[in-house]
Amino acid sequence: MRFISVSSEEEALAQLNARGDELQILAGGTDLMVQLQQSGPRAQALLHIENIPELQEITCNGETGIGALCTHRQIVESTLLDNYRSLRQAAAQVGGWQTQMVGTIGGNICNASPAADTVPPLLVHDARITLVSQVRGPRVVELEKFLLGRRQTDRRHDELISCINLSRPPERVRDIYIKVGRRSATEVAIVGLAACVSLDEDGKLIKDVRLAVCSVGPVPERLHHIENVIKGQELSEDLLDEAGDMLLKHIKPIDDVRASKKYRSLVAPRILKHAIRSCAQNVSG
Amino acid sequence: MELIFKVNGRTEHLELEGHETLLDVLRDDLRLTGTKEGCREGECGACTVLVNGRAVDSCIYAAMAAHDAEVETVEGLAENGRLNPLQTAFAESGGVQCGFCTPGILMMLTALLNKYPQPGREQVRDALSGNICRCTGYSQIEEAVEKYIAQEQDR
Repeated sequence: MRFISVSSEEEALAQLNARGDELQILAGGTDLMVQLQQSGPRAQALLHIENIPELQEITCNGETGIGALCTHRQIVESTLLDNYRSLRQAAAQVGGWQTQMVGTIGGNICNASPAADTVPPLLVHDARITLVSQVRGPRVVELEKFLLGRRQTDRRHDELISCINLSRPPERVRDIYIKVGRRSATEVAIVGLAACVSLDEDGKLIKDVRLAVCSVGPVPERLHHIENVIKGQELSEDLLDEAGDMLLKHIKPIDDVRASKKYRSLVAPRILKHAIRSCAQNVSG
Repeated sequence: MELIFKVNGRTEHLELEGHETLLDVLRDDLRLTGTKEGCREGECGACTVLVNGRAVDSCIYAAMAAHDAEVETVEGLAENGRLNPLQTAFAESGGVQCGFCTPGILMMLTALLNKYPQPGREQVRDALSGNICRCTGYSQIEEAVEKYIAQEQDR
């Protein structure tokens, strides 16, 4: 298996344009190297993009943009992401520090794992992905539409993710990422859930709510239908019960090595309620 | 494919196929067996080494990705054949029991201490969350770090 290393976005795009269908893109490699060792090479060559400086930056020019090659550790430690607590909480729970130091946000997205920790927080912040092709230039896709299935994305062979943009959070808002695992570190999520709640000026009604889950179906997803029921309402235990029931009807948890379908079904509605309650109690700004 | 990199200050030239892990190259090609193979999937931290100062799990890091880089392994810690102060603190505090996790833990802590010279206990625990030790219960390891920090302050 050949190893092609590039040090600029331009070089990467030229390689992808010339032979994108023969290449597997290697960023930090924390997932890909495990897959390679377990299943053997599936492409003719690895395209190593880890050292492209222009894709390693977090920017805040009116809108927050995260370069695709920003590492999880970089996200945890960046003060530019203070308004995106849930994302930093999730990044801090992707494996141990060793994984966080080399694993990238773009890699976490493209790997398209049903348990990708950073994806639910990105979904609640309306993340949009910029994909670049040498021939067609850039295109922007909502993350929600980019993830097509387990290990499947809308990325074409000649495209590279360059940036992930987040929407500006509303006022009087709080967000959270809650991960359930067998132990607190180096664990793949049994259930992961992100919530972002904003209240009205009186702090009574839920002005806006965004919810997303992972590990309870083939793709992490936004829960628009539950959000619509909660929006504009006053927070109550009845409302939370209704949201929990709706989640239970909606998700398709499976039995696997980490947890049973039954356990996932028990825990998912509980962390949904806990997340909304916790956000509503801690709104700021 | 040619891999040229520095390992513990020495320049190495190797011919690779392309998808070998850094762990295999260190252990099998360079015979640096201080770096241990545990889970081989980035869960246990036994294979932790530094690549340009970053602590990585070498079992899931492509060796070719370390081209032109500086790699440090546990063999590079001792100075003139003598244990360095962190290693000495480990020995004195009982931070080493069976010893299998020790090289990885030492490298993770080296990366942490390079960045944060005086980490608190919580920070040490957080940094070691990707290093599994089944003997010490981590207490003696934390004590070793505290001892090391105290000694460095006295210097």
